[in-house]
Amino acid sequence: MRKPSPLAIILIICLITGLISACSRSDNRTEKLHQSQLLALGTLIDISLWDVEDTLASQAIHDIDTRLHELHHDWHSWQAGRLHDINTALAQGQAIELDDVELALLQQAQQLAAQSQQLFNPAIGRLISLWGFHSDNPEGPPPEAHAIQKLLTQQPRMSDLIFSNHTLRSNNNTVQLDVGAFAKGYAIDQAIAILQNQGINNAIVNAGGDLRAIGRHGQRPWRIGIRHPQQAGIIAALEIQGNESVFTSGNYERFYQYKGQRYHHIIDPRSGYPGSNTLSVTVIHANAATADAAATALLIAGPQHWRDIARQMGIDQAMLIDQQLTVYMTPAMAQRVQLKQNLKSIIEET
Amino acid sequence: MNKTSIVTRADIIIISIAILILPWLYLHFWGDGSQGEIARIQVANQTPRLIPLHRSQRYPIDGPLGTSIIEVQNGRIRFIESPCRNKLCIHSGWLQRDAEFAACLPNLISITIAGRNPRFDSINF
Repeated sequence: MRKPSPLAIILIICLITGLISACSRSDNRTEKLHQSQLLALGTLIDISLWDVEDTLASQAIHDIDTRLHELHHDWHSWQAGRLHDINTALAQGQAIELDDVELALLQQAQQLAAQSQQLFNPAIGRLISLWGFHSDNPEGPPPEAHAIQKLLTQQPRMSDLIFSNHTLRSNNNTVQLDVGAFAKGYAIDQAIAILQNQGINNAIVNAGGDLRAIGRHGQRPWRIGIRHPQQAGIIAALEIQGNESVFTSGNYERFYQYKGQRYHHIIDPRSGYPGSNTLSVTVIHANAATADAAATALLIAGPQHWRDIARQMGIDQAMLIDQQLTVYMTPAMAQRVQLKQNLKSIIEET
Repeated sequence: MNKTSIVTRADIIIISIAILILPWLYLHFWGDGSQGEIARIQVANQTPRLIPLHRSQRYPIDGPLGTSIIEVQNGRIRFIESPCRNKLCIHSGWLQRDAEFAACLPNLISITIAGRNPRFDSINF
């Protein structure tokens, strides 16, 4: 057999080069991406870091783990901790001293509640407890109508909180704080601050599906998929570079069934019952705590009023999906996301 | 063999191999990732373990509560046993597409499907 021609030799070289570049392509990806997972806040926290040395990454993740466990303990809605102490004082009509961090967290929650016209209302801890959601395994029966009505007439609101320097008190002793619709966002903001303080500027912190991303994935933006609220797979995709949080509230997240009826955990503070007709709301905003509170408020507001509440909360990128799988988007959101499925979509000015 | 031919028998063999190998190379390195090929099994605070989905096998994974059994079959993966109370992980059923996810929170074990070229860095839900 004659020797291969120069043409064939070139072909062999091309094949080998292609193989090596394809291999190095996947190797580069895994080398520079540092992924780890921890259990905190009652959920799984995924941390992705781009191009960070192992020792620095390990230290940062350790610090985040410590901080998230502190927050989980301090602000747990139904276990002993700092929030429990604050709620005890409020129920007894007593004043309580707050440190800087506690003061900042509660004042931010109070401001967001006011902007949302009290649809984000962390003062209704009693109502959420009445519905049985202050439990690891919520179950029925749902509360009696008169018990709900009694709590509603007492109108516990964040505006009942009176701050005087570092002292907190309330004239309404039915106020019981539950920061569940806000704490995850607050915790993610804290985790990102820890990373930035250590000089890490390209990262994603994802806590049980809600996330904040900073920087980039090397030469390209971070790619985010938004999961379909009713079936497996992705409903929308978007890219992030810089500093943005993506939060989704859905009526499928925590719920229980009682006598064939489904009751989810996002309680409308106006009616005292779980909000209806909205499947999920996704909000993009730089601050994770704001995105978290807004996603809850817009879900409660529903397709009729979500635009007004978004505007008042300073949210210009939001997407609402109703029970009929109609997708409502703000114009800024529509420019960002790429819908992956053939769904009816409506773009509405806020 | 015709001595004036430009193409030798060795050329034909090399070109045939190249043509045969191309589809495999493409799928292996540049596939769109919509069909997950690898599962990332993670026990909280430990290094993740990557498992190929083309080999049918059962994997015992130890968590703080005990051993969860994870099954791989025909490119899919699922929890089949876990020492938790609600068995939500087992009810999650088969996972096979990119970014599908199931977790046993009490036993701190999660499974995520990842293509070789994942379409997404993170999933919001």
